[in-house]
Amino acid sequence: MSADLIEKAGDAVAILVAAGADDAWATASVSRDVEFSYRDGALEKVQDTTSRSLAVQVYADGRYSSHQTTDLQPDRLHSFLREAVAITGALEPDPERNMIAAELFANRPLDDLDLVDSEVQSLDRDKRLSWCVALDDAARKHTRVISATSGVYDGSQSSASVSSNGFSGSQESTYCWKGASVTLRDRGDRRASDSFFAGAPHVGDVPEAGVIASTALERSLVRLDADKGPTMNAAMVVDARAAAQLIGRLMGPANARSIQQGRSFWAELIGEQAFSPKLSIVDDPLIIRGLASRHYDREGISAKVLPIVENGVVRNVYVDTYYGRKAGMQPTTGDPSNRRIAAGRQSLSELLSDVGSGLYVTSWLGGNADGTTGDFSLGLRGHMIENGQAGRPVGEMNVTGNLRDLFSRLTAVGNDPYPYSGTLAPSLVFADVDFSGV
Amino acid sequence: MEIKRRHFLGHVAAGSAVVTMPAFLSGCGANQAIQIAEPIPDNPFMQWFGVDQAVITRVMAELTAHGADFADLYFQHQRSNNLSMEDGIVSRANSGITQGVGLRVVIGEQTGYAFTEDLTLPSMLAAAQTAAAIANSAAIVPPQAFNVKKTGDLYTTSVPWADVGIDQKLPLLKRVDSRARAADPTINKVTVAWSDVDERIMIATLDGHLITDHRPMTRLTALVTATKGGETQSGYSNIAAREDLSWYTSERIDSMVDEAVDRTLVLFDARRPPAGEMPVILAAGASGILLHEAIGHGLEADFNRKGTSIYADMMGKKVAESFVTIIDQGTIPQERGALNYDDEGNECGRTAMVEGGILRSYLHDSISSRQYNVAATGSGRRQSYRHAPMPRMTCTFMEDGPHTRDEIIAAVDHGIIAETYTNGQVQIGAGDYTFYVKNGWLVENGKVTAPIRDVNIIGNGPESLQRITMVGNDAKLDTGGWTCGKNGQQVPVSQGIPTVLVSNMTVGGENVG
Repeated sequence: MSADLIEKAGDAVAILVAAGADDAWATASVSRDVEFSYRDGALEKVQDTTSRSLAVQVYADGRYSSHQTTDLQPDRLHSFLREAVAITGALEPDPERNMIAAELFANRPLDDLDLVDSEVQSLDRDKRLSWCVALDDAARKHTRVISATSGVYDGSQSSASVSSNGFSGSQESTYCWKGASVTLRDRGDRRASDSFFAGAPHVGDVPEAGVIASTALERSLVRLDADKGPTMNAAMVVDARAAAQLIGRLMGPANARSIQQGRSFWAELIGEQAFSPKLSIVDDPLIIRGLASRHYDREGISAKVLPIVENGVVRNVYVDTYYGRKAGMQPTTGDPSNRRIAAGRQSLSELLSDVGSGLYVTSWLGGNADGTTGDFSLGLRGHMIENGQAGRPVGEMNVTGNLRDLFSRLTAVGNDPYPYSGTLAPSLVFADVDFSGV
Repeated sequence: MEIKRRHFLGHVAAGSAVVTMPAFLSGCGANQAIQIAEPIPDNPFMQWFGVDQAVITRVMAELTAHGADFADLYFQHQRSNNLSMEDGIVSRANSGITQGVGLRVVIGEQTGYAFTEDLTLPSMLAAAQTAAAIANSAAIVPPQAFNVKKTGDLYTTSVPWADVGIDQKLPLLKRVDSRARAADPTINKVTVAWSDVDERIMIATLDGHLITDHRPMTRLTALVTATKGGETQSGYSNIAAREDLSWYTSERIDSMVDEAVDRTLVLFDARRPPAGEMPVILAAGASGILLHEAIGHGLEADFNRKGTSIYADMMGKKVAESFVTIIDQGTIPQERGALNYDDEGNECGRTAMVEGGILRSYLHDSISSRQYNVAATGSGRRQSYRHAPMPRMTCTFMEDGPHTRDEIIAAVDHGIIAETYTNGQVQIGAGDYTFYVKNGWLVENGKVTAPIRDVNIIGNGPESLQRITMVGNDAKLDTGGWTCGKNGQQVPVSQGIPTVLVSNMTVGGENVG
């Protein structure tokens, strides 16, 4: 597979150079995706697809452009590539945009990241159906269930890249996810619902279907009879799944593009004690069987472990070659891989017990953050923390503040990193948070 | 690919749906289709996709070899161009072609789906066999001839985007850039983003119809950053439509830029409102996001046939004051959400979801309209040939009411006006929905007093409908480039509303006592 893709990418580079490109980069990809979805005792949807595409970057006469197509019919592909070079010529020169320097893709790590599971590749209809049935059985084990939709999603992707200055590489991975969404009869016309999905590159790292669906059902049951909590300033405990998304918001503008464009509150934080000493974040592309592991990034930069925040001090941000040059920063990588957030020693229940009272957030609903200022306001669902435990369920509330300020008031970190996300975040505890409710 | 899927699984799978502005910022009443049989060999869409009637019939036979209630082939060719300008030069120029055919077979509520990007007969037959595996009954005889439905004219353009060179677009981007930079000395960064799309659709259905549609789309965005006294603020504006190059008049571009500048500069004086419950005035236009989140998604029939929507048992009931009428209409010419035909080949029209305060209709696709035994509302949409269709909104708006904007503001003692938005989301079952207000105003003692910024507002759909106590007579559609996401599929939508008062919502804020 990878030899074929490398040949396709190499052919494209040759055509681009022959058509007048000074430099070129091409990536050929193929993916297979299978989805079985099962609802309330019956198979609802089967989708089985294979997709191919070619993406190229063209550098000609100080100019640059990028193109991609799914139409790989040879004649049309040939004219598409020649046209790509012609379009590039119609642009204005951009002195900062250059082909990636070869030293950035030299010494690529050769670790076996174990991202391909042959068991995924040999899954058949019967196996997927048996998982669906097991998910469906466990998800509907309660009299209040109105409907439950379960799903199994698996597949594989391969890509190969070739450049005119000597890059040649390929990457392949598989994935397998199982999950269920459950809707329960609540008071009046209301329905309580939640879902739980778990996945990994290897089938063996995904929990049993029954466990996943039971988790989805439990998460839905605790939503019954939720109400609006009070407007208050209080402690906030964020569970690991929701913490991964909050970390994502924090890190959204932690990159050279946002900084160079004046749209990042991280700009003035590099080298500073910006956040609580409890916060440490590492970008780690080399985790064995990691969901976002890789040997090189989209530009071809060799993978390496990158500390972002150490004990609250900002050490690095995401820097690609273009914005690095514009901002005068050394390239690190332009696109995040696995993000490991340093865990603490306490369990979630110990954190709740220490906090005593406040609000325990289990999921977000909408909201946004302004990357320029860090100001945020998010909808939430969760529970009141009463006597050191998760108490009555609440919803229809907002939490509002500033991300830098919030993470400077991070007072504790749990021992429970959430494994089913590229962001491996544990439960987080914050002091003095503004909530709006009744 | 994997990251997209993971994102969908992690965040959007739980019966929730979102509407957003571009990522870098962080029924249709069924008209009876008029069928005019055109001579098939001349059909330019068949030529475009390199297929003929015999090939379609052959693939359809394979697709329905194990039975079908209905089935369709969805051919799509999309050519897109994206440009962005930063620091006064084009920093990104991208073009893309996506082409393929999606094959679907439906039996009852069961769907088999496959697609291929290789439009040769062997590849299409292989994909058809994969999709057909969902069924296990008797083969259906496919139509030997297809009736070509009349071509729609909601967004006919004189020059297709494929024929517009980059040299004709660059001056427009430069105009945005220089006007924004000249607007105020505090403005130090301007990003301009351009997108144009030229799309051809051809749908062949098991009941013997061939539907074709040529869909243009364009969007222009200005993102402005200003620094004043050590403080930096960013704001944006954008315009989008199914239009061609001639739509971009200097006046239209300038007014979009001025809006982006105004929205940014006002942020220096803006603050967070106090936290908690208060009356919220929704400014005319973009506040249609309320309708999209609070009721539109909840009335999509897939959530209702499964019983998962809070609205599942409310049809025919009074859900709002008698002056509240909420429409979804795909037939407003040139709108971003407009469609001649939906992605199942059903003609779009006008669906009153709420009429005079009464809940009147869901938004149906072919599966739900069969189950409910009603006419399809032309709401079956999909992101691309890679996706099976489901009920979606097109252009969602509220009709004019009896009040004026001034009367509405005068009626509020202490509350806010919500004016511009970045995104919204809804939890279908609980009915809780949110939208994020980028710009707004504080209202004190019936007067607009100070600008506010960056607050999330959260409410409950049916409760908020009941709490609409005043509706203005100044309805307008927003011209912004909204994109709706549901189950991982993105489709363009429009929305609009007159000035509306919701008597009580929960406003994110600071300064909690």
